[in-house]
Amino acid sequence: MKVRLNLVVGGSILDKAILERVLEEALKKGGDFAEIYIEEKQLSNVFCEDNRIEKVNSGREKGAGIRVVKDGKTAYVYTTDLSEEGLLKAAGVARHASANGKETSPIALSPKQPAFTISCKRLPDTVSFDEKIENVLAANKSARDVSEEIRQVTVAAGDLHKKVIIANSDGELAEDERTRIRVIVSTVAARDGIIQTGYESAGGVCGWELLEEIAFEDMAEKAARLAVNMLSARPAPAGRMPVVMSCEAGGTMVHEACGHGLEADLVQKGLSVYKDKIGEKVAAEGVSVIDDATLDGKYGTFRFDDEGNYGQRTVLIKDGVLQQYMYNRLTAIKDSRDSTGNGRRDSYQDKPIPRMSNTFIASGRDDPETIIKSTPSGLLVKKMGGGQVNTTNGDFVFDVQEAYMIEDGEVTYPVRGATLTGNGPMVLNGIDMVGTDLGFSIGVCGKDGQGVPVSDAQPTIRIKELTVGGTAPTGGPAKRRIRRV
Amino acid sequence: MEDFLRNTGEKALDLARKKGVEAEAFLLQGRELSIEVIDGQVETFKEAEEAGLGLRVINQGRLGFVFTSDLSDEAVKQVVEDAISISHYTEADPHNCLPSGKYEYPVLEVYDPAIPAASLEAKIEMAREVEKVARSSDHRINIIERAGYEDSEFISVIMNTRGVYASGRGNFCGIYVFVVAEEDGDAQNGFSVMIKKNYKDLDSIFTGKEAAGNAIRALHARSISSAHLPCVMEPYVVTRFVSLLAQMVDAGMVQKGKSMFAGKLEQAVAAPVVNLVDDATWAGGIGTFPFDGEGVPSRRNTIIKDGILTGYLYDCHSASKAGVEPSGNGQRGSFRSLPSVGTSNFILQTGRPGSQELYDDIKKGLYITEVMGMHTANPISGDFSVGAAGIMIENGKLTYPVRGATIAGNLGDFFSDIESLGSDLRFFGGRGAPSIRLKSLSIAGD
Repeated sequence: MKVRLNLVVGGSILDKAILERVLEEALKKGGDFAEIYIEEKQLSNVFCEDNRIEKVNSGREKGAGIRVVKDGKTAYVYTTDLSEEGLLKAAGVARHASANGKETSPIALSPKQPAFTISCKRLPDTVSFDEKIENVLAANKSARDVSEEIRQVTVAAGDLHKKVIIANSDGELAEDERTRIRVIVSTVAARDGIIQTGYESAGGVCGWELLEEIAFEDMAEKAARLAVNMLSARPAPAGRMPVVMSCEAGGTMVHEACGHGLEADLVQKGLSVYKDKIGEKVAAEGVSVIDDATLDGKYGTFRFDDEGNYGQRTVLIKDGVLQQYMYNRLTAIKDSRDSTGNGRRDSYQDKPIPRMSNTFIASGRDDPETIIKSTPSGLLVKKMGGGQVNTTNGDFVFDVQEAYMIEDGEVTYPVRGATLTGNGPMVLNGIDMVGTDLGFSIGVCGKDGQGVPVSDAQPTIRIKELTVGGTAPTGGPAKRRIRRV
Repeated sequence: MEDFLRNTGEKALDLARKKGVEAEAFLLQGRELSIEVIDGQVETFKEAEEAGLGLRVINQGRLGFVFTSDLSDEAVKQVVEDAISISHYTEADPHNCLPSGKYEYPVLEVYDPAIPAASLEAKIEMAREVEKVARSSDHRINIIERAGYEDSEFISVIMNTRGVYASGRGNFCGIYVFVVAEEDGDAQNGFSVMIKKNYKDLDSIFTGKEAAGNAIRALHARSISSAHLPCVMEPYVVTRFVSLLAQMVDAGMVQKGKSMFAGKLEQAVAAPVVNLVDDATWAGGIGTFPFDGEGVPSRRNTIIKDGILTGYLYDCHSASKAGVEPSGNGQRGSFRSLPSVGTSNFILQTGRPGSQELYDDIKKGLYITEVMGMHTANPISGDFSVGAAGIMIENGKLTYPVRGATIAGNLGDFFSDIESLGSDLRFFGGRGAPSIRLKSLSIAGD
């Protein structure tokens, strides 16, 4: 199949003059700012379950979102009608909300050049379904070969190619092409009525050359081994204890514990524990947190954000001290500063809001092996799952998919069913060792009903104390209580 | 608009017939309005429209699916060609099938003309009102995170080459407010959302007051020690657990061994007081509609009766595989995806009415008002471990608020430990439940 994407970008249907007319129409009754965001995407998915290729899908969608901002208030209209008439009509509806303004001057758009290139060697439409299916089936086999206890394997491989045009009344015109690949394996293992699951995912802003970097079959084997190993795991303990998070555990913790709380919209509404804390110590010394949209090929990478601002590297926390928040255009204006290029949206149907890109705790000085060895007892987290945070009070929770007990500096037996809860600033201040390594995980982050692709990372770290929510009736917490008396 | 959708669908089906494949066209046209207010002013006003086609072909048992938002003749032709071309890559499955025959659809009230008839000003006023009520109901409500009004309407058309034709128009409306209460350096969230099929049922005063009350009661929460305690859960929290049941009774999941309810039909899976139904004909339900996403008529399905698992939910594929009739649960979220098993109005039924609170005779327990990270619970293994907040129960009374606890266990034990259910059934979207009382839960705290 041939991708037909040149309808919008570079084609004659929407040239600069049309965009200028639409923006002028949007501001006809006044307003501080108008913007048009046009997107055309093509996606495809291959899905294997029950040992067979069950579904292959593809789809095309295009649409435009127009917004008019006046005194910080937004009118947003979206449409799938990309004709000049359709766009002018949508612009007319958007401007409705900001009546009685004065006429604005003509708009002249000038294109913005991207600051770096994103390499994409094998575009989705150049890779046949046969090749994707071959890889998916090989992964399925590799997972099932691990053990007869593997009862189900689901393998999915998807790609997305998106072209966007963003033009605004400041005269900025940004055009971009984005390609993303995501592969997922999930496994189910069963033994004597106990069922456990395993999960692995990989992806990036790149083409199908990703398959050269990640071996799909190895991922599947890993997911299968995890499910089988967890069958023998004991129930996790309940209570507070030291937690070592291995770098391969991924960055869910940093995403939940501080990432969301540093998004400027939440800060400005008073919904973040990090409000009014710029320049203050919010984490232990040696802890730096960075959001970087420019990392090569990572799942949260972009050249332009969805408002046409350059994707950039922003140091959020430096050596324990809070440096700045993540901004989109509107929140930046409110704080009289520039956007940090974190204005992102799910699709043309959504207004851009401050979002993370690739967020990570920077590597430190401790040898990862030594971190475990110097921990008398606690929990070693090897793989994290999803999480959630209440930014107002900083309380967060996330799921642990693979964990082991540490006893006298040695990793002993696996435990299952643990969830970690904590409080953002308290946990960041409780990090007492930071490893030299760095491990990434990918995901789709949800906020206000919008999902955007992100990646998160951290080195191996140790947190002095976190609440582990397991079910085992251990003596641990009871002993602590006795000691307290 | 319905005519346009029907004609577009006809074109797709004609092309498919000419190519000798079975096909189903699902067409959806939707409109939405959302108004968000801050300090009595409209902060975001959004109006939108979308339309699209999702085409499923079955080519000698092989499945192909393609969607498009472009409904031009040329695009529709391309969609049919792509779907057929894709079908060559999937494996044949005798259970890939489309419903056939002349269905009679139930007549249900699913469209309220009062929603489009209400003026924009009235809707803005309602959003302002819910914000105002929340803010003014207590001096400690210092921040309104979001408050607003939304409505949505759609026309859906399903037609296939086996003669099924179903079309319908539905709408609903809602208001919401998210607040923060602050006092002495402590800040706590509270929210309330009301979604209704009828415009006249929206109650901004109730919604505003409830959100404020939820935030206030959580102020100055303490942590608690780890323990096993009896618990009472509010309807909202119960619906979160009931949502996990939705995947567990999905016949597709069951058949693939991805549900802990696999092989449990006619067995006890919950306490004898537990009754669960999925009812797409429930009057006023958000999930109420005459037909499902495959054009199968809606009906009421009993899932758990007196604690015994009596049935699963089926779409056409899983029903064919199990050798039963589809239950009318082939749901679709949009034109962008294939139908799959889903719930309509999924309801945990109320217990016996009584004037007593469920916690009246609990000496020490936890009244749970909030759970966090529910998406991490595992409906396959049944393991869950989620963050929880609530109010301590002491000698039958609600005393001080609690936060930062984790509750954990297995869903099998959870549903078997339900001792009693309240009479306070409430819906949150398409999920309804009353309060419940649990014998004991493992709580991790300090």
